[in-house]
Amino acid sequence: VKKRLVKLVVNFLFYFRTDEAEPIGALLLEHCRITKEEENVFSISFVEEPERKYCFECDSEEQCQEWIEALKRASYEFLRRSLIFYRNEIQKMTGKDPLEQYGISEEARFQLGTRKQ
Amino acid sequence: MKLNERSLAFYATCDSPADNAGFLYKRGERHTAYHRRWFVLKGNMLFYFEERESREPVGVIVLEGCNVELCDSAEEFAFAIRFSGTKSRTYVLAAESQAAMESWVKSLSRASFDYMRLVVRELEKQLEEVRWGPTGGCGGCQESPGSWKTKPSGPQQSPEQLLALPAVLPKENGCAVWNNVPGEDRPPNTSGCSRYDGEGNPRPPPLPPRRRASSSEAGSATGATAESPSTFCQLHERYGREVARLRQDWLERQRGPRP
Repeated sequence: VKKRLVKLVVNFLFYFRTDEAEPIGALLLEHCRITKEEENVFSISFVEEPERKYCFECDSEEQCQEWIEALKRASYEFLRRSLIFYRNEIQKMTGKDPLEQYGISEEARFQLGTRKQ
Repeated sequence: MKLNERSLAFYATCDSPADNAGFLYKRGERHTAYHRRWFVLKGNMLFYFEERESREPVGVIVLEGCNVELCDSAEEFAFAIRFSGTKSRTYVLAAESQAAMESWVKSLSRASFDYMRLVVRELEKQLEEVRWGPTGGCGGCQESPGSWKTKPSGPQQSPEQLLALPAVLPKENGCAVWNNVPGEDRPPNTSGCSRYDGEGNPRPPPLPPRRRASSSEAGSATGATAESPSTFCQLHERYGREVARLRQDWLERQRGPRP
């Protein structure tokens, strides 16, 4: 068990040795599963290698829950789904596409359903 | 710096749709020769492959904190991804046509996580305003725009999706589920008020129009009242259908396809 400074920046989890400025590593948080393990501990595992778990022990259960919630929402794909959901809801309720004002309604990344490759 | 490369490669090659893909010429770091590579943009990651059929990317550019701009180059249709900071490099790329260049510049400049987050926050705010009104009160609860009035078009009004978004977190946070996005294949819903409270228990349906004390929808209220003998039956029917449909959706999700 090694003590690390951990920073969540966009969809990456960086980890540092506590006294260093440069990270020793990073985990891309896409297609991953965040699981509560035993007390104060959560793990991150990835879809393509589910047995490999990156375990993190927190100082408290509260901290553990905070991290789990934050990490579950950390992926770009989660953000994308949120955007599509909100866009759809607003459109249903107002009849207007809220992305039109930004001129991005046709962008591939914001489309629902299958998108062209 | 260590990176979970296998996960990166998985993200690059899994069957989630790309935000852009195509051949681009990439200028080398040390030599100015351009190499033709297959580029795939997913989220805030620009992967590049030796060839279109390659199973693994040879590199990735993380598109955070960068500027995408056209650039002066002997090469036609060239553009650059510029990072700030003394040690950062600039990636010079060239497309094969004007249209391709424009398409790439557009999609790359909006690729960052930060940008996405900004737009999501803005839409979140807008949705709150639409639902609860700019004052933030629950005035919207009394009137559910659309789902109440007898609409001529008559399609089923399905209930509001779960309020918190997405209240039911999928087990994998990044799993490509845009085919399962809530609301996508459900019938249009115009309810302004959540049918569910925080625990997911259905709230009692809004009171029938003629009993509402403060309805500004006087026109529709009277309209409904005028039809009152059949209104209750219609309501009963409609809620019954909604409940049946909800239950069906819920059952399907329980069994649902999970990779």
